[in-house]
Amino acid sequence: MKIKYIPIFTDDLEKQVNFFTENLGFEIHGKKNILPGQESILLKTNNPDVFMVVMKDTAYEYRKNRIVLNTDDCLNDYHALKKMIGIKFFNEPQYLPMGLGAEFSDPAGNRYLLIEERSYI
Amino acid sequence: MEYLKTLRNNNVIYSGTRNTKYNQQTISDFSIRFVFSGNEKYSIGKRQLSIHSDSFLILNKGTQYSSVAESAIPVQSFGISFDDKFLQDFKNSWQLKDDTLLNINKYPYSGRYENEFDETIYPFKGDLFFNINHLKYHLDRGLQDELLINEYLHHCLINYFKIFNEEIFQKAQRLNFLNRSTKIEILRRLNLAKEYLYTNYNNNIHLEELAEYACLSVTHLLRTFKQAFHATPHQFLVQIRLQRAMDLLKNTDYPVNEIVNMIGFDCPSSFIRLFRDRFKTTPLKYRQSF
Repeated sequence: MKIKYIPIFTDDLEKQVNFFTENLGFEIHGKKNILPGQESILLKTNNPDVFMVVMKDTAYEYRKNRIVLNTDDCLNDYHALKKMIGIKFFNEPQYLPMGLGAEFSDPAGNRYLLIEERSYI
Repeated sequence: MEYLKTLRNNNVIYSGTRNTKYNQQTISDFSIRFVFSGNEKYSIGKRQLSIHSDSFLILNKGTQYSSVAESAIPVQSFGISFDDKFLQDFKNSWQLKDDTLLNINKYPYSGRYENEFDETIYPFKGDLFFNINHLKYHLDRGLQDELLINEYLHHCLINYFKIFNEEIFQKAQRLNFLNRSTKIEILRRLNLAKEYLYTNYNNNIHLEELAEYACLSVTHLLRTFKQAFHATPHQFLVQIRLQRAMDLLKNTDYPVNEIVNMIGFDCPSSFIRLFRDRFKTTPLKYRQSF
């Protein structure tokens, strides 16, 4: 058994997919109907066997996700996303036990923790 | 890569190769000095402070110093000078927070003693290490965005004051003296001992000479050093030597036996044993991992 799809629900498929592709740099893999009657778009992740699935669902407000995104330079990405693209962050980058992180949300209200893991040996 | 970048808010960043002696100069703003290879020795009055890639130095505004590149390999130097206003804005913003690193009530040695104690050698570690390396990486590739550069500088100050608290305040708290002024005086002398070990790590250091430099008796030095640093001066020295050995193994082609001599160990076998105990690998395996 292994993780295959990570679902993201939205009321506006195009807007949500654009958020991923234009703001976060994800690539579209294709379309697939995973659940009956639900139009879905697959996005590539860094693992070729795992995809984000953006699904249209009117009840999206009750199906919000929290996703952790990895970065090798949190301050640089925070700056690029906030200052250049206008993404709203919940907080400035903060020092966490595992590294430096900052949290933001997408148009559907899903929350993302952008984390730069640091080895403090 | 050589550059001297003066930002619009008068913060200044320098990066370049140093291979000569620099005569007496006066620091115009609070500065942090790093070296990414080789080592540079600073003279401030009678104090000698040598920094390597595992350590950094703070210089206060108005301090007079001279410096000299000491190593066989070119010294890659990197320094940041913080404009007074930028520094003060940072301190004000942090002092307004409840859990601030600069909270005067929480840390009774801040403010009045901060300027006296901050001008010393610190370990270049933790978040400061990551943020400075990121900043240098971007500047080396021509980063011009001052908003981003200042974001890094702001975080460098956060990181520095965290290290300052660990290295100064927390060590002072550990000293078993009731009298506050005694605590401060002992801390001042222990800092001299720490600087001496950082600077003369590759020499054969006798406890008597270390105690004399720190103006403490040998027994007093041993007792208070252990309280503050959770290690004896000898254990502290061994850690510095092992850290420097790591740097030489990673960045030079010197044979292990030569490195043993360069870092002040007498015996290769005891060096290998200590290295293995500390880093869970042998010096050769560590070198081969790059």
